Amino acid sequence: MYIDTLFSIFALTAVAGSLGLVLFRHPMRSALCLAVTMISLAGIYALLSAKLIFLLQLIVYAGAVTALIVFIIMFLNLREKDLPEENERFTYFIGGAVVLIPVAWFMIKVMKSIPEVKNSIVGNGFGSIKEVGQMLFTNWLVPFEIISLLLLVTLIGAVVLAGIRRESND
Amino acid sequence: MIEDYLVLSVILFCIGILGVISRRNVFTVLMSIELMLNAANLAFVAFARLNETMDGQILAMMVIAVAAAEAALGLAVIILLHRQKGRLDSNVFSLLKG
Repeated sequence: MYIDTLFSIFALTAVAGSLGLVLFRHPMRSALCLAVTMISLAGIYALLSAKLIFLLQLIVYAGAVTALIVFIIMFLNLREKDLPEENERFTYFIGGAVVLIPVAWFMIKVMKSIPEVKNSIVGNGFGSIKEVGQMLFTNWLVPFEIISLLLLVTLIGAVVLAGIRRESND
Repeated sequence: MIEDYLVLSVILFCIGILGVISRRNVFTVLMSIELMLNAANLAFVAFARLNETMDGQILAMMVIAVAAAEAALGLAVIILLHRQKGRLDSNVFSLLKG
C-alpha cells in the first residue's frame, strides 16, 4: 500500500528533523529542523484522516509558532559568541539515551499489546471541520471556554511583561 | 498500522526529553518542549483513529492552543532574560537558589 510508503517517508523526516533540532548548535538551524518536523507530522495527521488537525498543524505550528520562534531568534541577532558553550552536550545526550532507551522500549512493548482493528474504514465526515466543530460546541463546550480563558490570561501576561520593560527603561 | 504511529510518538517524545536534559540553550529547550507536545498530539490523534471517535482530535486542538500560548509567553520571557543578562545559557538564569 502506498500509505505505508508515505508513512515511512513522513516518519523518517520527522525523526531526522527532531534529531537535528536537538543536535544543532545554533538555534536558527534547530528552528528550521522544527519546521521540518511539524510539516511531516501534518502529513501523518492527514494519513490518520484528521483533516482539521492537519490544517491546524500547518497553520498554527508550521506557520505561526515556528515563524514566531524564527522571528525572535533573528530579532536577538545571535552570533557564535553569544551562544552558551555546550561542550558536554554529547555526553549528556548519550547518558540520557542510556536512561531513556529502556523506558522507550517498555512503552513500545505496551503499545504493541494494544488490540487493533485492521484496516478499519472511517466515514467520510471523520475529522472534517463540520463534525469536529459540532462535537466541540456540544460535548466539549466547557473545556473550550476554559481554553479561551487561558488565551486571555496569556494575552494579559504578554501585556504585563511588555509593560515591565517599558517602566525599567524610563 | 496504528502502533507504528504510537511508536513514532514515543520516539519523538524521548528525543524531546533528550533535548531538554542535554542542552543549555534556552531556545532549544523551548523547541524541545514543543516537540514533546507534538508527540502527545500524535498519540491523541492515533488513538482517535483507533477508536473511531473524534474526542482525541478535540484534545489535540486544545493542546495546540496551549502550545501556542506557551510559545508566546516563553519567547517573551526569553527576550526579557536576554535583556537582563545578555546570555542565552540556562545555567545563568538560576536566580532562585536560596
